[in-house]
Amino acid sequence: MKFFQQIFPALALAGLIMILAACAQMKTIPGLPASHPETLAAGQQVSCTECHEDNQKGTLKAYNAFNHSPAFVKNHRFYASSDERLCSTCHKSSFCNDCHTNQVEMKPSIKYGNRPDRDMPHRGNFMTMHKIEGKLDPASCYRCHGRANNERCITCHR
Amino acid sequence: MKMPCARLIPVCLLLALPGAALSAEISVDATSIVSFEQRAYTGAPKKDIVPATQFLGLDAAKLADGNLSLHVYGWGRGDILDKSYNNDQFAGSLTYGYLQYRFKAANADVRAGRFFVHEGIVNEQIDGASFRTDLPLGFGLSAFGGANVHTKKLYNENSDGKGSGNFGGRLNYRYKGVLELGASGQYETNAPALVNYPTVNHRLAGGDVWFSPHKSVELMGHTSYNTVTKGVAEHSYLMNVKPLQHLVLTGEYNDHRERNYFYSWASFSGAALSPAEKSHSLGGRASYGVSKAVEIAADYKHYTREIGNADRYGADIKLSFLNNSVRSGLGYHYLRAGKEFAIGGTPSASYHEMRGYIMHDSRIYFVAVDAIGYLFKEKVNSEKAAWEAMASLGYHITPDLALSGDFSYGRNPQFTEEVKGLARLTYNMTFDSKGGKK
Repeated sequence: MKFFQQIFPALALAGLIMILAACAQMKTIPGLPASHPETLAAGQQVSCTECHEDNQKGTLKAYNAFNHSPAFVKNHRFYASSDERLCSTCHKSSFCNDCHTNQVEMKPSIKYGNRPDRDMPHRGNFMTMHKIEGKLDPASCYRCHGRANNERCITCHR
Repeated sequence: MKMPCARLIPVCLLLALPGAALSAEISVDATSIVSFEQRAYTGAPKKDIVPATQFLGLDAAKLADGNLSLHVYGWGRGDILDKSYNNDQFAGSLTYGYLQYRFKAANADVRAGRFFVHEGIVNEQIDGASFRTDLPLGFGLSAFGGANVHTKKLYNENSDGKGSGNFGGRLNYRYKGVLELGASGQYETNAPALVNYPTVNHRLAGGDVWFSPHKSVELMGHTSYNTVTKGVAEHSYLMNVKPLQHLVLTGEYNDHRERNYFYSWASFSGAALSPAEKSHSLGGRASYGVSKAVEIAADYKHYTREIGNADRYGADIKLSFLNNSVRSGLGYHYLRAGKEFAIGGTPSASYHEMRGYIMHDSRIYFVAVDAIGYLFKEKVNSEKAAWEAMASLGYHITPDLALSGDFSYGRNPQFTEEVKGLARLTYNMTFDSKGGKK
């Protein structure tokens, strides 16, 4: 502990110098646009590589990684956890928060009953089915209902 | 530590709304829904439920110097007849409301207000502030801090079990388009004292990876560590292989040490779970875009828990015609699961799941039919199946305004029969938009 106390000023100074050096170069680092320049059609599974060259620039990941294939849609959480700023060029926050939110007022599949083509959780009579699915894979419940969105759960689970 | 200052941030944002009117780009999303539902529980009188719900969102971009934007979304509900949930006749929620300043370079931005944080292993909603930027040499940094946004109080408790403050962030490194490594964590403070559950803070640290040595191969995932229980909470990894342009083969592995992962899940007494409890799932999926109009997928997943194991497999097909204005899909899955996962005293939890839908959206009207059915291997509450069929019909009054109605009927072990109707008015308007955000 004493050793760390002794070297802390040196570490802090080194850190400060590095931060200042980084800030000086910030203006040269490119950024994504705020929004996608073209309006994308609703209901179309977006394929980024249709328009974008399938290669990476700088530290951007290859565009084909973000083609909205069924596999991408099913596993979008992996992409959103590190590339949320890329998602936000096309999707408003509300697009995500129809499902991922603190209090969902109604099942997304009911809110968007006119859009059966969209992948939505808990379609049909999930009230019955959750008694099986909850025992099978409780982690899948926890992701959305563990830290938020518990109103339906606590009605029975006490 | 209470955090009243953080709570004031969303309130202050409402004061910024009039200023939003002066912005160069405004988008409004409003959906009004009045639903009609008759619930019939086994052995109980029927209930008539008529909730009226308003969803409202506002996005105002290009404020001030053009880099500032305001984003607000929320909903409110009033029950016209019987109460739809719990004892609340009226309810509402501010889903998010924040100001965001985007810097012109380095993907840097600052947010203040109520917003979601989804960085690495962190998934939280807070009233507070966050900052994110790319750094030289491929590094990136994000940080957040504020008060937890609380959800419904637990039964017989004065809290939802979440602490008052929440802080954290993520440091990442990217090498070209080949590799990304991330380290993230969150630190919750002041977990409430609960009467019926243990008092625990939600504190996690973890790492994530994305590795693509070739454009046809991707490995990604994360591992989280509970710093309170001092044990690994989760491993979750995914591998995509794309041998052909429209063929994606996916392998997935998930592992949860349940006490560490569910530790702060108060309503399910996560902290009381045995440290030995663990679960895994291992699965695979193949999806192939035959053409722009036809997409097929097949999947398999094996679940292992202390109480038993199960398998799920099936296939889906999605079709689109007439320049994507007609879309349809069919799906079938079978779950093989023993009595350990079954409902009540049913000797098996196995079931077949079938779904089919078709929809047409023209410039004048839109129509959809959707049906889903679960066929149980063994009867549940004397019912062999749970099924629901829904029909929806709508009219585009203007390109931005639409009126639609849904009707559904179903039978299932929970409610014996369910009849639901719904009227929906949607308004999605963007003034002076050059881009597209949905």
